[in-house]
This record gives sequence, C-alpha cells and structure tokens, in this order.
Amino acid sequence: MTFTVVARNPQTGQIGIGIATYSIGVGLYCNGLRSNVGATMTQAFVNQGNNALALRLLAQGFTPARVVEELQANDPDFAYRQIAVIDREGQAAAYSGPKTRGYSGHLVGDGYIAMGNVLAGQHVVDAIAAGYEAEPNETFERRLLRAIEAGRDAGGQVGNDGHLTERSAAVLVYSAYDHADLDLRVDLHDHAVDELRRAFEEYEPYRAYYRDRGDNPRDAVPQDVFVSRLAQAEGAR
Amino acid sequence: MTYTIIGRCSRTGRLGLGITTFSLAVGGRCEGVAANIGICKTQAFPNRTNDPLAIKLLAQGLLPARVMQALAANDTEHDYRQIAIMDREGRIAAHTGTGTRGWSGHQIAADCVAFGNGLVGPRVLEALIAGFQAQPGDPLELRLMQALEAGRDAGGQGTVDSHKPERSAAIKVVDRLDYPDIDVRVDVHPTAVAELRRVLEEFKLYEAFYRDRGREPSKAIPQDVFVAGLKARRG
Repeated sequence: MTFTVVARNPQTGQIGIGIATYSIGVGLYCNGLRSNVGATMTQAFVNQGNNALALRLLAQGFTPARVVEELQANDPDFAYRQIAVIDREGQAAAYSGPKTRGYSGHLVGDGYIAMGNVLAGQHVVDAIAAGYEAEPNETFERRLLRAIEAGRDAGGQVGNDGHLTERSAAVLVYSAYDHADLDLRVDLHDHAVDELRRAFEEYEPYRAYYRDRGDNPRDAVPQDVFVSRLAQAEGAR
Repeated sequence: MTYTIIGRCSRTGRLGLGITTFSLAVGGRCEGVAANIGICKTQAFPNRTNDPLAIKLLAQGLLPARVMQALAANDTEHDYRQIAIMDREGRIAAHTGTGTRGWSGHQIAADCVAFGNGLVGPRVLEALIAGFQAQPGDPLELRLMQALEAGRDAGGQGTVDSHKPERSAAIKVVDRLDYPDIDVRVDVHPTAVAELRRVLEEFKLYEAFYRDRGREPSKAIPQDVFVAGLKARRG
C-alpha cells in the first residue's frame, strides 16, 4: 500500500520521487536516487537491497529495462515487488509483481512513472500521472507534490476495511551533487500528504538561505534575523 | 545552532548519528552516514560537499584525523564549519571553527563525540555524552535518543534568557548493509526532540514486521492485520 511518482525533469535534468503510504517512515526506504545516474524505488514487499543495486547497475551503463531484468534474476521473491527505474535520460521501466496486494499497477509516461499497490483502483495511478503532468512549468518539487496529492484525492489506498490514510510521505530531488537538493519527510502523521505540503511550504523559503550561508558564511545573517525578516515579509503580504 | 551526537555500539559495531536543531529538515542534510565506513557531519555553516567527500576518503582508508586535514585543505571557509568524523573502528576527529556562532564546541568520549553550536554552554555537550553512556546495553538508536533528550534538558540551543526551540531532529543508524537500520526524522515541528521520540517508539513496533515482510513476503500478514494486532495488545 503505497503510491509513488518517480520522475526526471527534462528542463533541468533533476531526478526525484514523491511517495506516500500507510506504512510509517517510508523515507527510510527512498535510497534510490543518485545525481547523474537515475532514480529507482522498490515498494510493496520491499527488497531493501534493490535500490542500491539498481543504482550501481545504472551507473555501469545498464538501461532501466535491463536493470529490472537483473533485479528479477537476483530475487526469488521478485513477484512480490513493485519497481520503478528511470535513468538520467528519462528512459523508464516499471514492474508490478502479480503477488503485490490489492489493486496494483503502474503507468510509464514521458520521463516519469506513476505506480502504487493496495490502491482504490487504476484511477489512482492515472491521477498521479495527471497530477504530475498538470503544471509542467512549475518547479519539479511542486510537480512531485501535486502528483501524490492527486493520488490522495483520487482515493489513495484501500485495505480490507476501506480507505487507509497516508501515515508517511516524502519528496526527494537530486540534481548535480552527492547530496540532495531537497529531502523532506513526514514519518508518522494521520494525514501525511497534507503535512508534507505544510512542511514543504514552511521549508521552501529557507532553502536558498541554508544553501547560501554554507557557501558564503561570512555574509550570512543569523537565522533568527532571517526568521524575523520572513515573518515581517509575510505580515506585509 | 545545532547539537549532535555520533556514537558507536561497541558490542555490534553499529554506527549512528542523532541530531537536532532550530533549522528545518536537518535530517535531509545528513548524507554522511555510511555502513562499514563511518560517519561525518558538518554543521554550523555547513559545506554540503564535505560529508560525501569525507566518506569517500574514509573508504579509501584514511584516518579521521587525516580526513579532517583534507577537508581543511579543500575549503577556504573551514573556520566556519563544525565537523565530527568517526570511522568504523570508533576513531574520532572533531573541529569547531572559530567562525561558528554562539557557544560552540565539541567533546570526545569513549565511542562517541558530542558537538554543537549556538548552545547555552558546555553542559549541553556533557549531557549529550552522559545520555549516550547512561544505558550502554540499549540499542544504539535508543542511546542516541536519550543523548538528544539529555542535551535538550540541559538547555539545548540559545542563551540562558532565550531558548531556541528544536524544530527538526533525526536519528540514523547503519550496520553492514547498503540501507540504514534506523532512519527516523522530524522535519518541521515546534518540539522536534519529543516528536522524534514518539516516531522512534512507534517505528520500533514495526521494525521487525517491515524487515520480515520484505525478506519473506510469502509469509507476511497484511499491514492492517498487523496494526489491528498492535492495537489489541495495547488494549
């Protein structure tokens, strides 16, 4: 029970993931992004070795389709996995194993993959894709958030007793460095997608400040000064 | 303004980091935690490329003290950084640049290093270490949690007159595999250390379930059934 978008932004070359699930702490499992290599996610019954292996295979030059074949050959329980792989050129491959539970499926679009399991239906996957495609000129981070919000609004996850809330969520973006451009999470919350949006909007004004004070510490204002300026700017609005 | 504990479990060799700060989403800036290699965390005015570089240098076999020299040689603003490095054998190097703000320092003890800036004073570091050492038989993640709570209770960040709240916090623990054993986060919260305790305690209830359903999916029960069982046990 999870729904996910894995994508590459053709305008910037950034790669990213947006994910939400009933499980707690899903961000722990999102270790499948590497700048200038690609992005991958294994979910449903997670083989935690898959993401690191898939990245190494991509880095060696394997295509996403070939990486998925290699993951299959390497895993006796492959039928329980749901997998997305996208490379730095936006080529994509995905797999939804027959043993994953509930409605389970994926959609490979132009430079992205929408996928999920234990969902209300195919329409959730379609909504994730539509959400991602809705505003192609927005920042990549916002497109990823919009995708999982659309998945939530389309009904999200459904278990044996009806709708399952999103208890954790994450959005990660890499571009050129060993570190993430953005790595934001909600690990335990009753409405994790809403909370992720709140955290993102709260964090967004700080991102340039945090970057600049590291790059140029001599000119950095103290953070409490920055925070009070933010509050003033919001009050003036 | 941040306080951090890096520790090693001498029984298992697991390595971990606990961190909390006024800044938002600090856990998203902790990429220097590598299984079988070591940990590096740069804070204060962080150079984001330091931690991945330090991990690569440790992996080549350099000692933490030598890695620190390499970071200094590679960074014109090294004086503004606060850095701690621990390798997989528990060897430690630490640096608190003169350009870091507020009360700022580090303290090294057996199997751990505490460091912070913008703190109310050295007692925060002493508390971090005492918290880490209080229950040496506990799993490493709980020892790191106890350290952060002790640092907070000793006054944490700010000055005696004006406490700075902890708005984000994280604990990461690695063992031998490519992925962390524990990786819990609170990114935007008014009392992030307390919230991190809540998240960690909850995650610990699910830890074995999540691990086992991936390793032996044919035997896994659905999560809603697992959650119903948890609720029943709680009464």
